[in-house]
Amino acid sequence: MKARHTATETEDHGIDLAPMLDFVLNLLIFFIITTSFVKEAGVVVTRAEAETAESRESGNILIAVRDNGEIWMDRRQVDLREVRAVIERMHVERPEDTVVIVADKSSRAGVVAQVMDEVRAGGIKDVALGAAPGAGG
Amino acid sequence: MRLRRHSAEHGEGSHCIDLAPMLDFVLNLLIFFIITAVFVKELGLMVNRPQGVQEPVKSEGDAGSIPIQITANGEIYVDNRVVDLRAVRPNIERLFAVNPKSGVLIITDKNAETGVLTQVVDEVHLGGIYNITFTTSN
Repeated sequence: MKARHTATETEDHGIDLAPMLDFVLNLLIFFIITTSFVKEAGVVVTRAEAETAESRESGNILIAVRDNGEIWMDRRQVDLREVRAVIERMHVERPEDTVVIVADKSSRAGVVAQVMDEVRAGGIKDVALGAAPGAGG
Repeated sequence: MRLRRHSAEHGEGSHCIDLAPMLDFVLNLLIFFIITAVFVKELGLMVNRPQGVQEPVKSEGDAGSIPIQITANGEIYVDNRVVDLRAVRPNIERLFAVNPKSGVLIITDKNAETGVLTQVVDEVHLGGIYNITFTTSN
């Protein structure tokens, strides 16, 4: 008898939170799953512009090559010989990741080529050259 | 009044958990994930690297490919002739029309600027060839 009374009382006061909670949890799970874990390079470089640059959906390991030849990945500066080891580790963690090498406009092509070779040696064959969407042709 | 107090103290307390703090927490988590979700659409140009050893490839190494050379000071040679960056596209279109199966081999000097390389790759793409191999020479 007492229990029934409480039931009516709660019905009066509170909204039923369960469906909202379900919905919010679903949203949360959706966002956790769809979050692309982009490994940012950590430096700002001036990219060359290209009209035909295509969007890389899964391009989420960024390697920056600065104009003075420094290589940055995962928010720290790395040596050229380190690139391969880091890429190997990342490749084991998430095998579907691809690499975009974001090279500064005035960086040297030799460094970019070496980085590209190291990445390929590290196991990721899908390497793209980063570019900015450009208006000039 | 008495009834309400009674139910608040004993009835609710005994058989349902208070969901509000959990809800707050979950909503905060949700907001955190929405904010930190990095919607980076990285743009990139696909280029190939020659397989195997990193030997500088001879310009006539592959019979079916159009050689483009970029020197250290930014000069562009298409088919062994100096051309302007804006002339790369018509040249590529012409050579592509002659041999539609051909790819492009870009031989870059190690000290050439990446900006020039990117622009050349872009022009070649605009010219209709997406099979680009990129190699360096001394």
